[in-house]
Amino acid sequence: MSAASSTHQGADASGHAHDEHDHHDPPFWKKYIFSTDHKVIGLQYGFTALVFMAFGFFLMMVMRWSIAYPDRAVPFLADLPWFQSWLDADGKVTGELYNMFGAMHGTIMIFLGIVPLAFGAFGNYVTPLQIGAPDMAFPRLNMASFWSYFIGGVLMFTSFFLPSGSAKVGWTNYSPLATTTDLQFSDIFWTGQTQWLLAMVFLISSSLLGAVNFITTIINLRAKGMTWMRMPFFVWAMLVTGFLLLLAFPPLEVAAIMQLMDRMAGTSFFVPTGLHVGGMPFDAAGGGSPLLYQHLFWFLGHPEVYVLILPAFAIVAEILPCNTRRPLWGYKTMVYAAMVLGFLSFIVWAHHMYLTGMGTSVSTFFQTTTVLISVPSVILITSLLISLWGGSIRFNSAMLFATAFIPMFGIGGLTGLPLAFNNIVLHLHDTYYVIGHFHYVVAPGTIFALFAGIYHWFPKQTGRMMSERLGQLHFWPSLIFMNGIFMPMFFQGMAGFHRRAFDGGTAYEKVANQLFVSGDSFFGQMFNFVFHRAGGQDVNMIDLNLIMSSSAWLLALAQIPFVINLFISVTRGKKVTSDNPWNATTLEWATPTPPPHGNFLTEPVAYRGPYEYSVPGAEEDFTPQFVPGEGDTVPVPGEDAPAKTETHA
Amino acid sequence: MEIPYEVTARRDTGLYNAKIGVWLFLASEVMLFGGLFSAYVFLRVGTQPGIDNPWPMGLNVQILMAGFVNTLVLILSSVFVVFAWVALKERKWNVFRNWMIGVLACSALFMVIKAYEYNSKLTQHHDIKLLDNSILGGKILEGTDKIRFDADSVVVDFSGSAPGFMNQVESDENIEFKIETGENAGKTVKLSELRSWYHKEHVRMMREVADMRMKQRKGEWVDGTDKNPETKATLSAKPFRINANPRKIAGRDEETLNFRDRTVIKGKLVDDTIKMEVHSLNLQMVPLQDQENVMAWKLIHAATGGDEIKENVLAVRDEKVTYVRSHFPDGVIPVSVLQGPFINFRKIHDVPGGEAHGGDHHGEEPKAAHPGDHGSEESAEHGHGSHGDIVIEVPREQTSFVTNHGPRAGTYYAIYFTMTGLHGLHVVGGALVLAYFLLFGKRIFLKNPEHLANRVEVGGLFWHFVDLVWIFLFPIMYLM
Amino acid sequence: MATTPEELASHKKAYTAIGIALLVLTCVTVAFGFWHPFGPVMTWRDITLGLLIAIVKSSMVALIFMHLNHERGLIYKILLFTFCFFLGLMLLIFFAHADPIREAFDAIRNSLG
Repeated sequence: MSAASSTHQGADASGHAHDEHDHHDPPFWKKYIFSTDHKVIGLQYGFTALVFMAFGFFLMMVMRWSIAYPDRAVPFLADLPWFQSWLDADGKVTGELYNMFGAMHGTIMIFLGIVPLAFGAFGNYVTPLQIGAPDMAFPRLNMASFWSYFIGGVLMFTSFFLPSGSAKVGWTNYSPLATTTDLQFSDIFWTGQTQWLLAMVFLISSSLLGAVNFITTIINLRAKGMTWMRMPFFVWAMLVTGFLLLLAFPPLEVAAIMQLMDRMAGTSFFVPTGLHVGGMPFDAAGGGSPLLYQHLFWFLGHPEVYVLILPAFAIVAEILPCNTRRPLWGYKTMVYAAMVLGFLSFIVWAHHMYLTGMGTSVSTFFQTTTVLISVPSVILITSLLISLWGGSIRFNSAMLFATAFIPMFGIGGLTGLPLAFNNIVLHLHDTYYVIGHFHYVVAPGTIFALFAGIYHWFPKQTGRMMSERLGQLHFWPSLIFMNGIFMPMFFQGMAGFHRRAFDGGTAYEKVANQLFVSGDSFFGQMFNFVFHRAGGQDVNMIDLNLIMSSSAWLLALAQIPFVINLFISVTRGKKVTSDNPWNATTLEWATPTPPPHGNFLTEPVAYRGPYEYSVPGAEEDFTPQFVPGEGDTVPVPGEDAPAKTETHA
Repeated sequence: MEIPYEVTARRDTGLYNAKIGVWLFLASEVMLFGGLFSAYVFLRVGTQPGIDNPWPMGLNVQILMAGFVNTLVLILSSVFVVFAWVALKERKWNVFRNWMIGVLACSALFMVIKAYEYNSKLTQHHDIKLLDNSILGGKILEGTDKIRFDADSVVVDFSGSAPGFMNQVESDENIEFKIETGENAGKTVKLSELRSWYHKEHVRMMREVADMRMKQRKGEWVDGTDKNPETKATLSAKPFRINANPRKIAGRDEETLNFRDRTVIKGKLVDDTIKMEVHSLNLQMVPLQDQENVMAWKLIHAATGGDEIKENVLAVRDEKVTYVRSHFPDGVIPVSVLQGPFINFRKIHDVPGGEAHGGDHHGEEPKAAHPGDHGSEESAEHGHGSHGDIVIEVPREQTSFVTNHGPRAGTYYAIYFTMTGLHGLHVVGGALVLAYFLLFGKRIFLKNPEHLANRVEVGGLFWHFVDLVWIFLFPIMYLM
Repeated sequence: MATTPEELASHKKAYTAIGIALLVLTCVTVAFGFWHPFGPVMTWRDITLGLLIAIVKSSMVALIFMHLNHERGLIYKILLFTFCFFLGLMLLIFFAHADPIREAFDAIRNSLG
């Protein structure tokens, strides 16, 4: 109420150029920039996040060049002014540049790309629609959340252009390396390392505000009849994700503040006694604990993994039933599994830290919980798989991406199991195996689901369909090249390739010679032909870098159809004929297209569960939540929560 | 468009939006302070006796009265907030206004006392850690924690960062530097212009390097015939004094000072002594057998001309060790007790400037040396009376770490400043919100008093939480 | 939520009583900080006592001032959930600290002399 009224008053007060005082058409900056409408904010999140993802992807392509061709100059970039100060005299990537890009690739992809796109964009756009709410519970908080994220993103991005360059000690920013890096600069505040911490404080605050808003909205703003067990799985996943963000992020905020103090105020939270930097005793009191930083970081870090993956499950769980024309299999089981997943994700974090000198009892505890957490994950993925069974599947672009998510996440999840055991971690820690594992979860896993979501909800936002042909052109190469990048990482990792070698492991001659594929074999011949190598050369571990890097660059090309599709379809796409083009059942399809400010024309009512497809005896193969049927009792306002005990675990 | 349940509660949850929101926010605040408390525990139990800086006892280093009064003030303000809310529920605007003014006054008082405490720590209390790990506590009268150096020439490296020495020159801005090398040789730059000069030269150097690289790549560059870009410049000046932050120094000897940004300064290390009024001596990091021979005794001997203090202190220590051994026959003696004593020469820690305020709650007569009084704190009588502090001169070469009682003094001070600082920010934030209700709430009150009551309730919940955090902060920071 | 005048009056009494109790308990904490009741040196017993008093005080603030003595179930669930993770954060980090691989560390330390 106050938000709406103040918006209108503001429009009146600032109506210098608007003589007509149009109450329903606020000025451009209010409508599209400082908007309080959850849909506009969702789109703002989405576009910013997509830009950052493209940027993070670009960083990775430069890194992959250095890995594949450590002895050659980087093409195209070497003459750009910024790169000239960071590449070496031959135009090759320096270790420093690689470290910078490595740290920022991780940070940008996770904190500025996927979480904002999955939680900020899809969550913001879809959640209020699916529960039948006019907006988020706190619209202005929502706006603050986006702008806090935006400031954090700008700080991250501009840190590249500081004299020190950006942060460069890995996305985890472990102390004391992070504390002592770039101390030579006269103004420590304007170094990439400090700016990283500052940006993180903004990003975390943004996530916290967002989480408060989401949970309140889901709890209090559900429409009539939208009981807990009638909420689409998407909303459930957002609820759990909200709790993960709410409770896991503050310890990282604390860690960031402490590290900021270490750098700026000279404290020694994470500076141990007797630390020497560059041969000189480091001027600090000492007595701090680097391990404390790791604990606080991974207390966030592990729930963060589920923040990345739960929205992906959520999107896929919306798209699968819609395109198989079948109810979601095991809806309740999935809901409870998501809750258990959220709960367990808080007590597994130390499996990232097995090699820090942890004793047997504690590592046994963390091994046990880590293995346990695979159970709900498998329940979720199995339910999705079984949902396909016996459906009449409509393979549109969204469905292709959603279906591909299942095996891709499966590979990522299953390769994570060995990493739960500390004796195996002795061998695999910090190798490419770990990289392969979590990228399978996040890249072909979550990002595919996000693409699926864009294809699926695009008609609701714009009133036009995205091109199917371009969608297919986007999907198939993406699928192939994603696997081309990440599958060889498992082999390399098991051979012992360290993840942070900027020359792609050329220094590791012994491991490099493993995996001989004879140059005379079919694979060897093909390989030598494709990469223009002298015939008969054997293929070994290092040569896999060529496959991976080429796949990465081709993957970039494969995104071109998507970008074209996204922009062209806004104006040229096929117009939708109804508000519910996919014949889906959930409430967001009951709104006009695109949904106006305030979303619903009439107060929405949920008459049944979210996935009533192919109900026996029904006229059509879908029975939407919002259409009253015979025998449906209209719930009395307010008394719509018989399942009150099932709030959350 | 109207967001439902902004004022009235939803029937099935029984709550209005803002209330759920604030409780969720408080949940995240619990985790925020949880992380800090967990860091406190981790750092405290992780302090290795004899290796790390000893974790001081709050009573010994804090102004107890300030913390105590602050606790009372915050509790009172919490009571005022609930009464303000009750007044709104009774629809009495004037009563609400009075209580709310009380809350804001309390929060202002809290912040003033906090500022006084911070100021006292930052400017009135210092620690000097000597090379043998004995720690002298007191107030530095002359000299700083900076390295003092008389320089006459500077070599600047343009591939580094903006030269760090510029911020640390202890001189007026008109000091002139003569450029000795490069095409600008002979020109002079003032200190105030040095930064922009450096920036210009840095950009020029970068451009030359880039050109060189481009030529190299195209194969046009031939080593030896083409000129290497100048990456360094030498500046000379009439001697100027530098107070160098030890953090910025990568190495030093008598004649050169190497900054971490590759600036090299030539000159000579000033015969640098720190004059300090000693209040306490901490031997907790010195093994028992070495405590008779620490460097501190020599410094005190030089200042007082006698060994009276040393003998008194060691006698007290011996008495304490016997006492503790007899009271803990099972061998469960806190390691910190055996490790060495913390001797407070003054028993006064809350008086900035010492002399100015006479009567304070601590009781200033030197107490009889009773073992274990106030934890590991002891007092030793010495011939100078309670206020006649010993003033010693510590040569810089003998120090390993010089600091005020600011955040860098040790992990205890670090967590103290971080936690109370964050808590202070919360107080300020909460006070601003409540002040908003006080100043602009009348309009909401007239329109819908219940709306304002709800908002005050929500703001009050936050305020109580801030109070609740302080209730834990007070004992762990000031008493234990 | 109390809205009738009688209830509000009784609330006011409770608030005053709790306020006084909090002030008194603060004094008690300080007194205990001075005269360690369990012996001359501050030990874990004194710390436990100090924390217990703090817990009592904070419970009073939470229950009475923050109305947690008659709040809706949902709030309790959120707080219970948070409390679990708060405990996890405090305890698991502490356990991990208390259980290092001592033999290995000792061996390294001994080999360094």
